[in-house]
Parts: sequence; C-alpha cells; structure tokens
Amino acid sequence: MSSESSKKRKPKVIRSDGAPAEGKRNRSDTEQEGKYYSEEAEVDLRDPGRDYELYKYTCQELQRLMAEIQDLKSRGGKDAAKQKVDAYHLQLQNLLYEVMHLQKEITKCLEFKSKHEEIDLVSLEEFYKEAPPDISKAEVTMGDPHQQTLARLDWELEQRKRLAEKYRECLSNKEKILKEIEVKKEYLSSLQPRLNSIMQASLPVQEYLFMPFDQAHKQYETARHLPPPLYVLFVQTTAYGQACDKTLSVAIEGSVDEAKALFKPPEDSQDDESDSDAEEEQTTKRRRPTLGVQLDDKRKEMLKRHPLSVMLDLKCKDDSVLHLTFYYLMNLNIMTVKAKVTTATELITPISAGDLLSPDSVLSCLYPGDHGKKTPNPANQYQFDKVGILTLRDYVLDLGHPYLWVQKLGGLHFPKEQPQHTVIADHSLSASHMETTMKLLKTRVQSRLALHKQFASLEHGIVPVTSDCQYLFPAKVVSRLVKWVTIAHEDYTELHFTKDIVEAGLAGDTNLYYMALVERGTAKLQAAVVLNPGYSSIPPIFQLCLNWKGEKTNNNDDNIRAMESEVNVCYKELCGPQPSHQLLTNQLQRLCVLLDVYLETESHDDSVEGPKEFPQEKMCLRLFRGPSRMKPFKYNHPQGFFSHR
Amino acid sequence: MEVFQALQRLHMIIFSQNVSPCGKFLAAGNNYGQIAIFSLSAALSSEAKEESKKPMVTFQAHDGPVYSMVSTDRHLLSAGDGEVKAWLWAEILKKGCKELWRRQPPYRTSLEVPEINALLLVPKENSLILAGGDCQLHTMDLETGTFTRALWGHTDYIHCLALRERSPEVLSGGEDGAVRLWDLRTAKEVQTIEVYKHEECSRPHNGRWIGCLATDSDWMVCGGGPALTLWHLRSSTPTTIFPMRAPQKHVTFYQDLILSAGQGRCVNQWQLSGELKAQVPGSSPGLLSLSLNQQPAAPECKVGSARGSGDPGRPGCVDRSVTTLLPLGPDSRRQQLQGGCLYQSGLPSFLPVLLTSSNTPTSISGV
Repeated sequence: MSSESSKKRKPKVIRSDGAPAEGKRNRSDTEQEGKYYSEEAEVDLRDPGRDYELYKYTCQELQRLMAEIQDLKSRGGKDAAKQKVDAYHLQLQNLLYEVMHLQKEITKCLEFKSKHEEIDLVSLEEFYKEAPPDISKAEVTMGDPHQQTLARLDWELEQRKRLAEKYRECLSNKEKILKEIEVKKEYLSSLQPRLNSIMQASLPVQEYLFMPFDQAHKQYETARHLPPPLYVLFVQTTAYGQACDKTLSVAIEGSVDEAKALFKPPEDSQDDESDSDAEEEQTTKRRRPTLGVQLDDKRKEMLKRHPLSVMLDLKCKDDSVLHLTFYYLMNLNIMTVKAKVTTATELITPISAGDLLSPDSVLSCLYPGDHGKKTPNPANQYQFDKVGILTLRDYVLDLGHPYLWVQKLGGLHFPKEQPQHTVIADHSLSASHMETTMKLLKTRVQSRLALHKQFASLEHGIVPVTSDCQYLFPAKVVSRLVKWVTIAHEDYTELHFTKDIVEAGLAGDTNLYYMALVERGTAKLQAAVVLNPGYSSIPPIFQLCLNWKGEKTNNNDDNIRAMESEVNVCYKELCGPQPSHQLLTNQLQRLCVLLDVYLETESHDDSVEGPKEFPQEKMCLRLFRGPSRMKPFKYNHPQGFFSHR
Repeated sequence: MEVFQALQRLHMIIFSQNVSPCGKFLAAGNNYGQIAIFSLSAALSSEAKEESKKPMVTFQAHDGPVYSMVSTDRHLLSAGDGEVKAWLWAEILKKGCKELWRRQPPYRTSLEVPEINALLLVPKENSLILAGGDCQLHTMDLETGTFTRALWGHTDYIHCLALRERSPEVLSGGEDGAVRLWDLRTAKEVQTIEVYKHEECSRPHNGRWIGCLATDSDWMVCGGGPALTLWHLRSSTPTTIFPMRAPQKHVTFYQDLILSAGQGRCVNQWQLSGELKAQVPGSSPGLLSLSLNQQPAAPECKVGSARGSGDPGRPGCVDRSVTTLLPLGPDSRRQQLQGGCLYQSGLPSFLPVLLTSSNTPTSISGV
C-alpha cells in the first residue's frame, strides 16, 4: 500500500513538478526525468524495511503529538479569564442596549405633546381677571406653572360649560320666535282678501264723489313700468297739471306686458333667435340679402322704442288741442315726441298753409335752434356708425322728433363734450323747464292756428286786419295784395334781392318762405318773406323788389331800403295786442301803405308829358328829408299824416 | 335778440363821419342816432385783427339820425334831428360820455323839427353855420353859443354847404335846385346859380336837387340830380360836365383832382378837364360822404392811401365795416406820401374794401 502510494505519490509529485514546467517540457523534460529517476534511485539505495519502520515511527509520533494537542485544547488553560471577559462583554452589551432603549424612551417622553396644549387658552392677564378665585387660586398658581396650567384648563372647562348652556337657551328662544312669526303671517294673509273686498265696496262711493283714486292708482301702477325718463316726465307733468294748469291731461299708453317682458331673462328669446337664424339660413341660399336683412334688423333693434309712451293733451283757449306723444328709445337713451293738432271745428287748409300745422314741423324751433333733426345724445354717433345709420333725420317721421326740450322735460341732460352712459333722469331739470315749455307749446299752437286762418284770407287777396289794429293804418289803402304763395328754401336763396338776408345767416332751412305780390296800377312790388318757426316772438323778414319804371331793390334805391326798414326793424309797433298773432298781417298791410306813399310821392318828371300816374292823396308834411332824400313813410295816428322817422 | 340786432345792422346807414384832430380816430354817425368811434391806427395797422376793426365806443348821441359832423381842434360837433351837440374829443372814448352842450337854432315852424343836413365851420369868425330842413342858414357863434344870423332864400331844404375862403362867402345847395352864395359880412345873398336851368347839366328824370357842393374859391363843382358839373363862379357858367350817370352825393377838391361819390360803389377821381382818372371801388352800393384826413398821424397813412369809411357791413358777417381805404390813383404809393387820407361813408351793404399800398383789398369792420 505504502509503496504503491509512494509510487503513486512520486508520479504525482513528478507530475506536479512537471506540470508547471510543461511549457518548457522540452527543456525540463530531462530534468524531471532526472528527478523522478533520482528519487527512485534513492529508494533503491535504501532498505525498504527500514523505510517502513521509519515511516511507522513517524506516523505514531505524529499521532501522539496530535493527541497531545487535543488534550491541551480540551482542557483550556485560559478558561476563567476568557469566561469573565465574555461575561463582561455580554453585560456591556446588555447595558448599552438598555441605555439606548432608555434614551429612546426619554426622547419620546420629552417629545410628548399633551392635548391640552392645542387648546387656545385665554391669555394670562385675562385669566387672572376673569376667573373666579376658587379656580384661579392665584397664590398657588403664580408660583407653580403646572398648577397654573391646570387652573387655566379648569377655567376653560368652566367657560365652555357656560357657553354651551347659553347656546341651548338661544336655540330654544329661536324656536319660540319662529313659531310666533308663523302665527302672525297667517293672520296677515287672512287680512288681504278682507281689504280687497273693502276696496271693491268703496268704488261706487268714489264715483259718486268724483275722486277717481282708483283710476289714478292704476295709472301710477302702469307708471311703475315706465323707463326713468318717461317716468320723470309723467310725474312732472301730472304735478304741473294738478298745480298750475287744469287744461293739461296726462295718460300712459302702450302695453304693460311688453314692458314687463323686457325685464325677463332673455333665454327664451335667445332660443327663438337662434331658431329663426337657422331658418333664415336655410331658406335663403345667397349670402347678400341675409347680410342686408341682418343689418336692417340691427338698425331696427337700435331704434327700438319702449312699449309704453306718455300722452299729453294740451287744451288751448279756442278748444283746439295739441296732442303730444312721448316715446323713449331704449338703446339710444333719448326721448322723442310726435305732435298732432286737432281743432274744435274742421280746418280747411289753404294751399300755402300746408306746412304750418304739419306734425313734422309744427314744433320745430320751439327754442331757437332746436330743430329736432339730430340726436341730442353724442354717444349715439358711435352706435350709429356700427349699424350704418347716417343720421336720425331719416327716421324722425316714424320715431318722432328728439327735441332738446323733450330731453329736458324727461330730465335727461346731455353735456356737450362727454357722451352719457348711465340713464340719470333728473327731476329738477324737468321741473325747471316745464312751465316755459308748456307756455311755449301753447303759444306755438295758437300762433300757427292764427296763421292758418290768416293764410286762408291772404290767398284770396284780402289782408285780414283786425279792428284793434286798424289805427296803425290810414283809412284808404289803394295797393292790393294780389298773390300769396309759399316758395321753397332754394328758390328763396336764389332770388337776387335776398342776398343780404341769406348772407346774414337769417335764412336757414328750418324757416318757411313765402312770396307776396302787391300791385297798384303798373307798379308791382314783390316781397319775399322769411317766416321763422318762432313766429311772432321772432318777426318775419321782408325783402322787396319794385318793378315800376325800372327795377328797384335795396341795392339801388334808398327808399326801398327805407320801406324794408319800416317793416323789418320797426315791427314792434305792428305787433298789436298780445299775443301778437297779427304781426304778419299788419306788416303786409303796412307794406301796402308804404307802396302807396312811395308811388304818390314820387317827384314828377318835368320832361315827360302827361299827368302823374299816382296823384298824391296822402297828407305829408314834407316829401323829402335828409341827405338821402327819404320819403315820409311813418304814419301818425290819429292825425293821419305821414312824416319821416 | 339776435335776429333783431342782425336786422338793425342790415338796415343801418351811416350818414356822416369825421376824423379826430389828431388823425387817429374816426367818428361815424348813423341813422339810429348813434355815434361810433373807430381807432384808425389800430384798424389800419398791419396786424389789424377783426376785433380792432370794430368800433371802440358806440353811444346814443341823438334821437334821430346823425346827418352831419364837423370837428374843431377839441370838439366834435354832430347834428341831426334839429339839434347840434358838441362832444369833447378827449372824453369821447370814455363810457357814458355826455355832450358838452347842445343848441337848437330858432326854427320858424313848430309842427315838425327840421333836420340839420350840413354843418360848416368858419374859422375866421369862430362860428358854425347850420343848414337843413327849414331852408335857412343859421350862424352860431362858437364862443357864446348864440345864433347870430339866419339867411333865408332857399325855397326847399338845404343839402350842403361850402365855404369860399377868400371873400368870405358861403355856398349852399338845396333841394330847390339852386346854389346860392351868401356874403357873411353883409348877410345877403350875392349870387344864385340855378343849375337845373342849364341844359347841359340838367337831368330832369333825376330831379333838380343839388346834393353836393365843393368850392375852390374860383371854381365850384356841384352835383346831385343834375350832372356833376364844374362851374366858374365869376361868370356862372358850367365849364366841365363830368360824365357820371348816377347822382353824386359828395364831392370835394383834392390837390388837382376832384373826388366824387354817390349812387354806385366807387369813389371817382376826375381831372379838371372832365376825364375820369380812376374809379376805386368800395364795398357798399351807395356812398354818402367823403372826408379827408389831413393829419398823417398814423404811419399807415403815409404808405397807405385814401381811406374811405364805408357803412355797416354785410349782414352775414358779424362785422360792420366802416372804413374803406382807397388809393388816390393807380400809382398810389407815390402820391400818398404826402399823407392825405380820404374817407367815404354811405349805405349799408357789403364789407368795404380796404386797399393797402400793395393794392390788395382787405376790410375793416365797424359799427
């Protein structure tokens, strides 16, 4: 065995020696072979039996030594110290562990927040002030913060209890009161029908006593739905009518439901609109008409009137009535008025009087310059630009005229520079203008009616001079009025003898123009008349052109100028009794008289044969006076002679 | 109210005007009896604005129209409806100016107060001659205020007066068609010229009235109904007839020219031979008076030219023009350096034209 093992070993050894040197096998082969061979050589030298003995002895020694070591180890000479060390080590570990544990506990304890700190306690001063002494225990708590906190907590608890008590009391009170309210409500609601029945019962009594409170009440009811300017107008005119002027009557017209509908939320109307839009788009295939129609609709929307309107009736002395209807344009924030004059008897309108009472112009220029063709609200211009309206003038016939005095009556004030956005309807503005405007309206209607009658007479060639104005003229007037017609503004400005008036700016397009023709013999006098809408406070203006032995106008004849001056400048004498409705007819009559004087006082031309065409019949002191050789145009009453001014 | 004021202005006539002794102001009287004072220096300066062409002061002087005005060294005398009033030039610009004195000559008739159409100053006697509606010439002593003489002989009212310095004689022309010469010392009528009886100058269709007179001691020019004629006084013969159709209302001698104005827009400049030298248009349709400013007070006078005072201006404009400046001739600049200035007044109408030395029209406004 051993030899085999040794043999085995040897090749192993050799092999192991030989393995690393495999690379150099060729070189070291011989060396390995040498080694292998040397050991084997050695073995051959020695005695195998001795080797066996030696080997056995060595193994036994080894065994013996190993056993010794084993013994030593098992006994452990250092047992006691080691065990102690181990024990201490263990203790140390335990203690450290405990320390750590305790530290953790301590930190936990220190971090502990008690719930009581989350409560907001009252401040210290307050606590000491409010708490009763048996809780606050000042002597104890001052020194001891723990006791203090306890006391405070006590106090907190006490307070909370009290408040909870109060709360419960209040709740119960509330319940009681609610019950009382219920009871009273029921009582009131049962009262309403009883009152209504009383009102009904009183109606016959009201009628009997002529106190139509109900009717007025209904008016006031409807008035509540009026837009602010119309409301102001309504209130002011009713007040004025009751206080000063019994001939004024105010009413509200229009549909209250529509007015209420204006304030409804526009959901329904929006749906309708979208439906209608869709329908529109379906029905029309071309684009342009829809645009135009839409623009038209927008315009209509912009010019929409409030459904309610205020109607004012002014009765004049001769039983003619001026009907005024006031509208409010909502989007434009202006008021307009439509006027109509009705007379007690049917009027036959002479041709020249066509425009006098027409609803379009009867109220024009009630105040100077207020022609009512332009919107008084400067903000409207921007709105118009959006929908392509140039001016309100095109729509006034339909919508009514936006005169300035109408705005003032409704309390609307438009300062000239800034457009006004909010509707501020001012009662004081309305009140201050009410009286003047009403008076002006009445005078306007009456003067127009007077003119109406006068025109009828003038067209027949008769100058209607009333008996109380006869003193202004001599008894015999030979010149006659032959023609009285109305002419257009453009025609007036084109006449050659009216240039001065046109250039003075006195011939605007709000005036009415007429042409009168006065004749005597071969002499024809043309008179162009400018009638201002504010007639009889503003005099009519005459411009003359005489055709007799040549054409004479104010340019080439001083006396024609003097005649114009007599009629235009000295008009105050011709006004007659107030109200001066006779001014125009008196001026015309004076014109005839002046023509008479002119023709009769013309100096006779000695070179021409024949008598004077117009023998002098007027009594004159002197025929000529002054460096301009004026004729005597002034008539003196009652002496009846003519003199110079 | 506005319309009434506009109408008043439209129908205003300025009958008379006069320059202040210092040459800086112009007084104008109108048919409403008002007198307006204009500042010539302001109105004619190169920086004249619209405002400076308006009158500085306007006040009611007479009840009736102011037909004539003359000016002494310190006073402005105005006359119209039967009275003559005097105003101090120094005070006249102040508000509420009152007249210094007023006199009324002794009239024969009491039914109607006759107007005073012409005033004439006789510096040698320090007296004032008034003539007008009562067909007489009254002489008033300026120191005492008494009426010394009344010369009568006219059969119809007197239009105009002129003074013949040498004699001294006064010429008067009237509605009766005669020019009468009066000797002031003897208070008698010396010579009568009945213009309408001379065929060369009479124009029966216009009438026979003598509207204007001017005299140059030997010569006299008169016009009106009859044609404008130059007469030699000693022989009482018409020497030159000026071919002017429209009746002339004012005529005056100026240097070697005769200036006339009347119906029609222009101031006419005639040479003594009868030729029309120049016609300078104003802006009113008729002119009633001319006056000369002999004081070249304002610098414009020297360079500018004849100024005419026109009449209330055109109705449309706010201004009422009073002054028209007219050059005295085509080469006006050279002529005017002597500084004579001419004024004219007349009927209301358009804005009178103010011609400066450059002959471009501007206008100044008045009453």
